[in-house]
Amino acid sequence: MPHRWGMTVDLDRCTGCGACVTACHAENNIAVVGDVQAAKSRAMHWIRVERYWEGDFPDVRLKFRPVMCQQCDAAPCEPVCPTYASHHTDEGLNAQVYNRCIGTRYCANACPYNVRFFDFYNPKWPRPLHLQLNPDVSVREVGVMEKCTFCVQRISAAEIDAKAEKRELKDGEIEPACVQSCSAKALVFGDLNDPESEVSRLSRSTRGAKLLEELGTLPKVTYLARQTQV
Amino acid sequence: MDRRDFIKLTAVTGAGATLASCGNPEHQLIRFVPDDDIVPGIAEFKPSVCPLCRAGCGLSVRVMDADVETVRNGQAGVVKMMVAKKLEGDPKNPISRGGLCPRGQAAIQITYHPDRLTHPMKRTGARGTGEYKEVTWDEAIAELTGQLNALADAKDQKSLVLLARPRRSRRLELFAEFLSRFGAPAPIGFELFAEDVLRRANAVSFGHEQLPTFDLARAHYVLAFGADFLGTWNSPVSQNAGYGVMRQGRQASGGTRARFVHVEPRMSLTAASADEFVPVKPGTEGVLALGLAHIILRNKLRPADAAGRAGAAIDGWSGGLQDFKPENVEKITGVSALRIERLAHELVEFRPSVAMIGGAPLAHTNGLFNALAVNALNGLLGAVDQPGGVFFTPGVGRSPATPHRPPATAPQSGADAGLAVKVMLIDDANSVFASPKAWKVREALDTVPFIASFGSFLDETSLYADLILPDHSFLETWVDSQPESGALDAVSTVAGPAMKPLHNTRSTPDVVIEIAGKLKSPVALPWKSYEEMLKAPVGSRESAASHQPPATAVKYQPPRFDGDAAGFPFHFLPYASQAFLDGSTAHLPWLQEMPDPLTSGMWSSWIEINPRTAERLGVALGDIVDITSSQGTLQAPVVVFPGIAEDVVAMPVGQGHENFTRYASKRGVNPIGILAPLTESETGALAWAATRVKITRAGGNDGRLILFAGEMRENPFEGRRQER
Amino acid sequence: MKEATAKRITDDLLRPLLHTSWRFFLLVAVLGGIVLMGGIAWMYQIWNGFGESGKRWPVFWGFYITNFVFWIGISHAGTLISAILRLVNAGWRRPVTRCAEVITAFALMIGAMFPIIHLGRPWLFFWLVPYPNQRLIWPNFRSPLVWDFFAISTYLTGSVLFLLLPMIPDFALVRDKTTGFRRKFYGALALGWQGTTKQWHRLESAMQIMAIAIIPVAVSVHTIVSFDFSMAPVPGWHSTIFGPYFVAGAIFSGIAALIIAMAALRKFLHLEDYLHPVHFENLGKLLLMMSLLWAYFVFAERLTTWYGNGTSEMNVFWATQDGGYSPLYWLMVVCNFVIPFPILSLRKLRTVTGCVIASCSVVVGMWLERFLIIVPTLSHKYLTYSWGSYRPGPPEIMIMISTFAAMGLLYTIFSKLVPIISIWELKVGEHPFPIETAAQVKEHAILRTNP
Ligand SMILES: Nc1nc2c(c(=O)[nH]1)N[C@H]1C(S)=C(S)[C@@H](COP(=O)(O)OP(=O)(O)OC[C@H]3O[C@@H](n4cnc5c(=O)[nH]c(N)nc54)[C@H](O)[C@@H]3O)O[C@H]1N2
Ligand code: SF4
Ligand code: SF4
Ligand code: SF4
Ligand code: SF4
Ligand code: SF4
Repeated sequence: MPHRWGMTVDLDRCTGCGACVTACHAENNIAVVGDVQAAKSRAMHWIRVERYWEGDFPDVRLKFRPVMCQQCDAAPCEPVCPTYASHHTDEGLNAQVYNRCIGTRYCANACPYNVRFFDFYNPKWPRPLHLQLNPDVSVREVGVMEKCTFCVQRISAAEIDAKAEKRELKDGEIEPACVQSCSAKALVFGDLNDPESEVSRLSRSTRGAKLLEELGTLPKVTYLARQTQV
Repeated sequence: MDRRDFIKLTAVTGAGATLASCGNPEHQLIRFVPDDDIVPGIAEFKPSVCPLCRAGCGLSVRVMDADVETVRNGQAGVVKMMVAKKLEGDPKNPISRGGLCPRGQAAIQITYHPDRLTHPMKRTGARGTGEYKEVTWDEAIAELTGQLNALADAKDQKSLVLLARPRRSRRLELFAEFLSRFGAPAPIGFELFAEDVLRRANAVSFGHEQLPTFDLARAHYVLAFGADFLGTWNSPVSQNAGYGVMRQGRQASGGTRARFVHVEPRMSLTAASADEFVPVKPGTEGVLALGLAHIILRNKLRPADAAGRAGAAIDGWSGGLQDFKPENVEKITGVSALRIERLAHELVEFRPSVAMIGGAPLAHTNGLFNALAVNALNGLLGAVDQPGGVFFTPGVGRSPATPHRPPATAPQSGADAGLAVKVMLIDDANSVFASPKAWKVREALDTVPFIASFGSFLDETSLYADLILPDHSFLETWVDSQPESGALDAVSTVAGPAMKPLHNTRSTPDVVIEIAGKLKSPVALPWKSYEEMLKAPVGSRESAASHQPPATAVKYQPPRFDGDAAGFPFHFLPYASQAFLDGSTAHLPWLQEMPDPLTSGMWSSWIEINPRTAERLGVALGDIVDITSSQGTLQAPVVVFPGIAEDVVAMPVGQGHENFTRYASKRGVNPIGILAPLTESETGALAWAATRVKITRAGGNDGRLILFAGEMRENPFEGRRQER
Repeated sequence: MKEATAKRITDDLLRPLLHTSWRFFLLVAVLGGIVLMGGIAWMYQIWNGFGESGKRWPVFWGFYITNFVFWIGISHAGTLISAILRLVNAGWRRPVTRCAEVITAFALMIGAMFPIIHLGRPWLFFWLVPYPNQRLIWPNFRSPLVWDFFAISTYLTGSVLFLLLPMIPDFALVRDKTTGFRRKFYGALALGWQGTTKQWHRLESAMQIMAIAIIPVAVSVHTIVSFDFSMAPVPGWHSTIFGPYFVAGAIFSGIAALIIAMAALRKFLHLEDYLHPVHFENLGKLLLMMSLLWAYFVFAERLTTWYGNGTSEMNVFWATQDGGYSPLYWLMVVCNFVIPFPILSLRKLRTVTGCVIASCSVVVGMWLERFLIIVPTLSHKYLTYSWGSYRPGPPEIMIMISTFAAMGLLYTIFSKLVPIISIWELKVGEHPFPIETAAQVKEHAILRTNP
């Protein structure tokens, strides 16, 4: 049975620390756009920690919600792409083929979660910052769309290793960079087709819900609600 | 000569060693053929230590081959070498436990920073202009040696001062050893958020002059006073790990979710995760703690003597803290008596409970009192050294550095102590940036005849240096950490270089060892290299547990503030920013572009103002205001912040560097600059939360504030939908 | 009114082809200069990066797609109106059809440029097209953008044919009236037209077939353009009303453009005798009807959104109703309804000038409508943390200006090369053969037998 990669985000564990955001940059060669472009909303954060205020001082609350590509099973970003640059893989991932993308940005409009980011310029890494680039991840050029891949490079590396060693992948063996960096262990990644996996177990939790579930996008990221009382 | 020998001959470096040992002819060659141990495209993981805060998280560095353009001994070329690609938390390290904070993730950019100093330099222009010329290591070392020789000749060794970031690492130990054998005073530890007050309080209350470790994983109730323990305070990564467990890690095995209450006037990143947010008047946190203790004592919920010496340190403890009746406490703190009663009962009911205090509550003139009060509460709750409570990591010695006090760097007050600073060494401390203007650090530095810096970057302080001997980055050299908190067991992390040096830099401890040996009357150090020192077993340390409780128990003194409430109506709360901590990481582009967790600000400074206050002042999001204290005025854009008291304004620390690489220079404003030089009354530590300011509108939104987020509420039109 | 003779018609309508004043060259130079600036702006954007446009997260479509929809909308004036008028055999259409059909052809060409200009990597635009390639990669036929390609190319082919067919007898006329280079040029364009019965018969039936076929194509084109939006699960877009709404809006703006073009031709080419106030009056009535229809659609769309009260839809609703985009929204209502409605409903105001004022207002209003469909929606998608705004960049503004100049330029050059009013149709219709030349006797005899 093919794998079906999914993630859970435990909002009761997430402290909004932002380590996942920086980790994703470090892992995936995401460009730093600089202040001028950031002021024009061109900053690219494949994962962002949304924060929402509720109430007014002093009865004020704040909630964090890390949002990355939800890897929708019925992804609205896929059918609209004229070139198949945004497409579905056998393992249920929404893959983005940068080379195939011509930059219509249609997918980004169709994505209800606004997790797709566009390269408005060629990325710059003043030397020797380029040495930090991860050779397992392609560097995107101007005019293409990019987004969270569930760190597909880590997935394939682990799959290749397991195949070479003629064994099954172990649950928890693959950790995307954000999952790996999260010290509160708010993020869990794994195979949803394995009912015993941690991510499957957590996805079945009564605290679980999908983001914008009502749109029928069938996301593979499950949010576990924050609890309010003991 | 076979091929293998050829490779050896042309190899510039051997595994693990440094480039420092030059002088051999083969070192003149650029190595075009890579080492045999490089497997192209295959990643290896090497240990290291995050250098960015005192937590000292253990790293696992992913290294891979790359072609590196570099200069070796004046010859430019491309070298194939293993370089760091990604920093991850070392899963086996008891502090990081596999995770990292965002700053730790970005630390790799120190090594690859385009503005890193790549070679030794000597000042050519006036101080502060940043005009330097490249010199050789021999020249640089000779220069510094000469300066020290001159001191020794004049029998003036006491005028050598080292200003260092007070990290629990053997690097500081080496410095201290050198200074003491040379005859100079102990290193001076300079750090803005130094937490000296808390160390002192812990010494008084518990006999441990060190920062505490919290057993969150087993705690059932956490009451935090100001401590941003999930963001920037103490050992955030280990605390996040514990937090995750206390929230959702225990249910599977039948445990319960812990409850968490946070007390502070501005909702911090940490308070955002709390079940209950208790706003309190600044500087009255200790009163609230004693108010809680009073109820516990009054109702005999806990034995009165449970607090032991921590209780004895508080005036009136034995009498049941009669001054801290809920009604009184309500008047002082603004927290309702009813709520105090409830919280006190919960603290006992849900035991194991633990209280923690850190950050702003300690940075008032009565900071020590606040800390002692919370310590006493912990004692009363039986939280000390108990599962789910507060611990002190064993094996941690007293810091070899003496805490920085304003006079220490100022020669004129140094003169009071019978010494004038003649030679100053700076190791990773930026006192110009992180001191109130009133301390006149610049003026003091100006009078020091010779300053040498080991820093990797030109910042406001190293700009005063006459000589710069840039260190390797933490990934290029031996590193270690003996964290004083964050784990229940003693931790010592030592790691070799994860990669070879990119530039013509040298390991500072090795430079110190070399200089010690080259002095006219050499200072004998027990180690030939830092590597040797780190590999040697740690000797017995002076115990941190040496303080006795003071003869007289402390009394509550209302916090003093600079500026009267009429002229300066707002408490000014600078806080350690999640991206930049105290500003020392503002040069890392990933952190500049990381949206602030609460405001989503990037690349900017801002001032957080309560919505009602903003309305009253006639300012909206992005509008520019003047923030004026008795010490000066800053201009910053407004962030309307629902989680802050009406009489408090807050500003993240970290921006406002005048000179700190292309990414941080001339960006935003530095709130430290306008702080009044008030100090904590017992310890002399800077009371950085004790300044009051006034706010006036200075202009409309000029685009200075860069935010990532659109809206701050999930349903901005909710009110209107309900009206309909 | 002067009595128009066939000779007069021929002379009047061929005059622009045969006599060229310096004003023409000046106009071409000015318009051409602006078009060139647009080209430079585009190259600048490609060279420096797409960031030179004002697009940003999350507003990934802006001026370019606004202009795309706008120009495709404008294109609905010509062919569609002309086809309908032909089918109902409205006699007053005769001087109007050609200048209307030209608008279609040019507006489509201009509109079709925008999806390419707006690409992040425009040099790869042909990946939208199903062309045979080594790696057997096809475009994704599920994507409305690929539907766009087929719809627009079909419509363009159809309307160019529809425009060209009735031009053949006029080309033959010019051929016969001229000598030298012109004779050769128009001779080639006339495709050997001799005016035989068979030829007239074929032309008539071809026109009849085209007129019937082009109407569904036109309707489908703008429906498909609306699908670019309504197929995406985006609040404010995902609506069944979008198809008819877009078609109605297209015709609305198209008629307005036609009125403006006719007034310009009338003035600059001195065609007062051919483009009568009654033409404007009739088109004005049509415009009035479309204005009412448009107002109805807007009302229906707003009402259902408001009544349904869906959270995310209401966010977009309020953003346009009284939020940051409301000034533009209410300006649109003024332009599309408040101004044209009184002008066009009062006969006294429904003059040539009145119609032109109303039309200008509608063109502006309909451009705003396209903008307001795209930008406020993308600014206010579901997760409010990701809300954003949009401001056009200099290349977007320059390119937009240059497309208006391009329209003027193409129109100017076209009216220099081709009789802008169909000479033979005019003769057949409004002025049935007053004085016949020898050649015309033959021609008209045939025409009479084929009414
Ligand atoms: N454009 C283009 N691409 C091609 C080809 C082509 O003709 N044109 N040819 C194809 C063919 S036939 C081949 S074989 C491949 C070759 O492709 P690669 O195997 O990538 O060959 P190189 O780039 O020659 O060498 C790879 C690296 O090995 C390093 N190296 C050299 N000696 C040693 C050593 O002793 N130890 C270690 N650890 N590293 C060493 C070099 O510095 C170099 O960086 O390229 C294929 N790709
Ligand atoms: S790293 Fe983990 S705790 Fe921190 S913001 Fe991301 S998900 Fe939340
Ligand atoms: S931007 Fe790229 S991925 Fe997105 S729809 Fe267009 S071609 Fe496809
Ligand atoms: S979250 Fe957005 S980008 Fe990701 S699969 Fe779903 S629609 Fe596509
Ligand atoms: S899974 Fe990988 S690509 Fe996606 S947000 Fe996490 S780190 Fe980024
Ligand atoms: S808490 Fe963060 S900055 Fe501090 S040592 Fe750990 S990873 Fe580094």
